[in-house]
Amino acid sequence: MTEASVPRPTSSRARWAVPAVVAVAVTGAFLAPPLLASADESVLPDVTPGQLVTTIAAAEPVPLSGTVVYTARLGLPEIPLAEMTGADPIALLGGSSTLRVWTDGAERSRVALLGSASEYSVVQDGAEAWTYSSSDDAVVHYTLSAADQARFDALADDARAGTLPEVAGGLPTPDEAARAALAQVEQYSTVAMGDQTTVAGRDAYQLVVTPKDASTLIGKVVVAIDAETSTPLRVQTWSSTDSSSPALEIGFTDVAFTTPDDAVLAFSAPAGAAVKDVVVPLPEMTGAEPETAPGTLPEGVSITGTGWETVTTWSGLDVASLIAGDPAALATVPGAELTIGSESAQDLIEEFMPSDGSGSPSIPTLDTSVLYDQLTTAVPEGRLLSSTLLSVLVTDDGRVLVGAVPAETLRAMA
Amino acid sequence: MSHADVLADGSADAAELRPSSTPVRGAWGRLVRSELRLVFGRRRNQALLAGLAAVPLLLGLVLFVTRDSALAGQGPGFVGRVTGNGLFLVVAALIMCLPFLLPLTIGIATGEAIAGEASSGTLRYLLAVPVSRTRLLAVKAVATMTFVAAAVLAIGLVALAVGAAFFGLTDVTLLSGTTIPLADGVLRVAGVAAYVTLSLTGLVAVGLFFSTLTEVPVGAMAATVIVAIVSAVLDTLPQLAAIHPALLTHHWLDFAEFLRVEVDWGVLSSGMAVQAAWVAIFGSLAWSRFVTADVSS
Repeated sequence: MTEASVPRPTSSRARWAVPAVVAVAVTGAFLAPPLLASADESVLPDVTPGQLVTTIAAAEPVPLSGTVVYTARLGLPEIPLAEMTGADPIALLGGSSTLRVWTDGAERSRVALLGSASEYSVVQDGAEAWTYSSSDDAVVHYTLSAADQARFDALADDARAGTLPEVAGGLPTPDEAARAALAQVEQYSTVAMGDQTTVAGRDAYQLVVTPKDASTLIGKVVVAIDAETSTPLRVQTWSSTDSSSPALEIGFTDVAFTTPDDAVLAFSAPAGAAVKDVVVPLPEMTGAEPETAPGTLPEGVSITGTGWETVTTWSGLDVASLIAGDPAALATVPGAELTIGSESAQDLIEEFMPSDGSGSPSIPTLDTSVLYDQLTTAVPEGRLLSSTLLSVLVTDDGRVLVGAVPAETLRAMA
Repeated sequence: MSHADVLADGSADAAELRPSSTPVRGAWGRLVRSELRLVFGRRRNQALLAGLAAVPLLLGLVLFVTRDSALAGQGPGFVGRVTGNGLFLVVAALIMCLPFLLPLTIGIATGEAIAGEASSGTLRYLLAVPVSRTRLLAVKAVATMTFVAAAVLAIGLVALAVGAAFFGLTDVTLLSGTTIPLADGVLRVAGVAAYVTLSLTGLVAVGLFFSTLTEVPVGAMAATVIVAIVSAVLDTLPQLAAIHPALLTHHWLDFAEFLRVEVDWGVLSSGMAVQAAWVAIFGSLAWSRFVTADVSS
């Protein structure tokens, strides 16, 4: 009451200075920590790429939990689907997503993709895995068949006993493995050490892999490695078309190297959830990588070019029926007839027709087809998906060309 | 209870307590109590609470009627989970009220707190009470916040009762697919309600500032609601991603953190820090305005 009755102009002006000071202080409090963190000079001993790769190969997997932010700037058309469906792996195609990661460093781990009021979880326990989507309360349980499970257990026991079966000409020491891997990479790229950095508050080395080929879309790959545990903390993939920000970036914003709580790593399907069981075949241990032995490629797959310019071609694929898991629903999608031209696609539709009554719901199916139409553009050769890192061309005659090369290269090859 | 009653009450307190103009111990408590009696005694505020409490009732009723139809299990957020576990009705009702009804409640409460008193000519009598304007503003803020907390509590309690009656309460399936016992679930949902209440503090500060600017309570109310809506709209524009974390409404839905397998307190505290920043800035603005303003009516 006294303040109002006594006129004091200077004081009233002084009073208005208070909010200004508060605003500056608050802004400072929010902006200062990141600035301080980035100003912090990390001083780690210098290492060569070879030494770093050796320590990575020798490092034991460590238990950790943390928050990962994944950002994709792939230059794809904007997809509003992610906003509508909640936490869904489709959201990873563009924009920024937050994931939470837990692992005990051995057999069990959990990854959760966070939505604003939803979550998509993947829980892995040895050879078993579950996915749980909170939006539709659905569980998918991936297991091995009984025979495969026995084989997996035997392999796991061998691994624990230290007698792994020969994978590729004797078990190399970490040093040899690192050298071999580095030699493999250096065939087509230059490997160098980048500036030391700080990721999630931890000092890290950066390994920069730059392709030697000029015609690939990939500019460079930068991997930040934790200096203490040799755990990769961040991977940035830069496109050659955009040097201002990485096209794909996945990295920890927060990490703790402690064993996660058992409740986090355990999973059992919640009551009332729709559970779908999927049996996954365990591949035979052939030891032959497609890159090292092109002769063993499956039928219908061919590879053109080397290194980063490699273009893989699949022929005889039914892209339309692959994308739309439910062919009956596909027939109702306008414009879909254009892509189901072949006879085998018609056969497939007839084959799947009887069983689709109890099959997957039609709404997600429709989404994937619409998504495919949204993401790809029509070109004379077929449909083209062009991103800052990867181009995919689906030709009208059923061939799929994939490569980290500009779209024009693929179109010229088709 | 009319303003006159309360003011008479307040003046009586003042007359009884005040030999000089120095603030007296106990006057603060009396003032808060009198302000709370005024706020909760207003018919329109009681009607507002009843209306908010009707939201979970209506929502529960609709879900109960349609639970066996093809429409069951659909809906945004947690609506689809309510039929399985009545506890989720609390979360679903809060989500429904959060974008508009709760900001509207804040707008009404803050608009009434200062602009309303000014427009009805009672503010200058209130200023005659031997309490500094700073304290008076704090009393107004506390009373408004209490009313907002009561609104959230009313929604939550009615939702819990309706949910338990219609759908029953069972073990809670979290967003991560983990099932926890009901008692833990109730605690986590209580955490959701607490977080929702606290994340409205920033808007209360903004509303009080608007309320000090004008003598038209409707103007202050509308401005407060507009701030909440504009903030929510800006939050959807990807071009403004850089300022999203600072927006008033950006962290409102982070209460979902309570429903994940491992609650990340960092996420929750960053949401609270943003609210604290808004309270600091707009609280100090409201203070500057209120202590320097000429109150003529």
